[in-house]
Amino acid sequence: MRKHPRGYSIDYYAYLSPLRMWNASFKVLLSVSILLICIIADNIYVSAAIILGMGYLTVRKGNVHFQDYLALLRVPLAFIILGSLPIGVSISKHATGDYFMNFHYFYFYVTSESILTAVRVIVKAFGAISGMYMLTLSTPVNDIIMVLCKSHVPKLITELMSMIYRYIFILMDVQYRIRNSAESRLGYRDFKTACFTFGNSMSSLLIISLKKAGMYYDAMEARCYEGEMHFLKEDKPVETRQILMGALFIIIIILIKLFTEMEEGIVV
Amino acid sequence: MKQPILKITDLSYSYDNHEKILKDVNLDIFEREKIAVLGANGSGKSTFFLNINGVLIHETGDIYYRDTKIDKKNRNELRKRVGIVFQDADNQIIASTVLAEVSFGPMNLKLSKEKVKEQVYEALDYMNLIGFEERPPHYLSGGEKKRVSIADIIAMKPEVIIFDEPTASLDPLNQQMLEEVLKKLEKEGKTVLISTHDVDFAYRWAERILVFSKGEIIADAPPDEIFQNDEIIKAANLKRPVLLDIYEMLVNKKFLKAENSYPKTIDELYGLLSKSN
Repeated sequence: MRKHPRGYSIDYYAYLSPLRMWNASFKVLLSVSILLICIIADNIYVSAAIILGMGYLTVRKGNVHFQDYLALLRVPLAFIILGSLPIGVSISKHATGDYFMNFHYFYFYVTSESILTAVRVIVKAFGAISGMYMLTLSTPVNDIIMVLCKSHVPKLITELMSMIYRYIFILMDVQYRIRNSAESRLGYRDFKTACFTFGNSMSSLLIISLKKAGMYYDAMEARCYEGEMHFLKEDKPVETRQILMGALFIIIIILIKLFTEMEEGIVV
Repeated sequence: MKQPILKITDLSYSYDNHEKILKDVNLDIFEREKIAVLGANGSGKSTFFLNINGVLIHETGDIYYRDTKIDKKNRNELRKRVGIVFQDADNQIIASTVLAEVSFGPMNLKLSKEKVKEQVYEALDYMNLIGFEERPPHYLSGGEKKRVSIADIIAMKPEVIIFDEPTASLDPLNQQMLEEVLKKLEKEGKTVLISTHDVDFAYRWAERILVFSKGEIIADAPPDEIFQNDEIIKAANLKRPVLLDIYEMLVNKKFLKAENSYPKTIDELYGLLSKSN
């Protein structure tokens, strides 16, 4: 049994999330400003506070299962760790650093400082990601597109976004059915057959998508489409409480930044 | 004499200037008619629908909406008056929420925002879709998608509504829902065209049946006449409605007296049987 692909589940969470009822512009503003603060502040305590705060918001208020939240974070985690390895670990011809590994011709070495830098980078990246996850796990794509429309992003881009979003699910559905029918005819019995079947299924997917695009266009024209897509959109109102809480959170992390750096200043 | 709402004369159409999909179609459609369109797969039904909606441009012949002749410039007039519910709802639904989807047509009609909202909610209510406004289409079931695709068209308030094989891929409960919607539309005085392979449904519902075969209308008559004609049934790959067969059997076996009107539903047949006893 295969489950729904991961992309599906993020979308589904966004749709089910109680935070969906929040004003979308507010959520975009909040998560983008948190992202910026996290990067500009460059402070491990600030990043940690953001991870906790956004994690709490997503898991508790957004009803995302904690296990699933961790599973979703695993994907960027792999990239972040791979990306920060070179920061922590250096190569030298001589034995140096606090810890090193001898490879005969050269040494891998780390210093306490380099480890600390790597950890700082990892935590910072996670802070930024958790801010973005709060947005993606609570805001369906069409809400985000609506915010983009409001902020005067060119229509071409927003229309493409909405059509691609709609189309992804249709194509995934078609592909799923093609795959099932091929599998039921032993199309994936061994590696060679699987490669062959996969190629064939992709080419028929292309043909189907072209055909569907034609039918789509007919259906749009039948409803008086004249080159621009207009939809009725309704944003939810922002609640004062949400704004206050958002502002409070931002003030707290800025205070953390000031406070911790002041202390460091005293120590140094 | 009544004035036709749509008048089609000598309409021909081909996709690639090679083989004609529609050949010299002549037809008058009147207000409040309930027309079933029968015919084998590939006999030109869907192409015909796209032509009388103004999506495809006919090569020869004319289409008149009431008194206006339709040409390239006023094709949108036709699209406003004639709505199509497509066979596969997935080929029709373009927006990422139900509310946005149903609003697409009315927004294109350039109505005011209040008016759009009013018509959209009316259509949602009509199709029993209140509460689904924020739902993305990929989390809807087949029957719900069909309802959305019908609401799409109802929100535009066209005078003529075309259903392209609506009963295909619907479960019995949803088919019943569809028939109830058709009844409501009938009460509102809409003109409805339905293409279908379900002869029992066509026999039961339609007042007039058009039979397409190889791009031509080979028959245009009330249901009883169409289904009495074995030649047409054979030419168009049709079969006789079960109810008609049963009725004739009963008449042959002298359980019933032959009458002028044929029973259209099980209830009507039952009525005839109880009367004769």
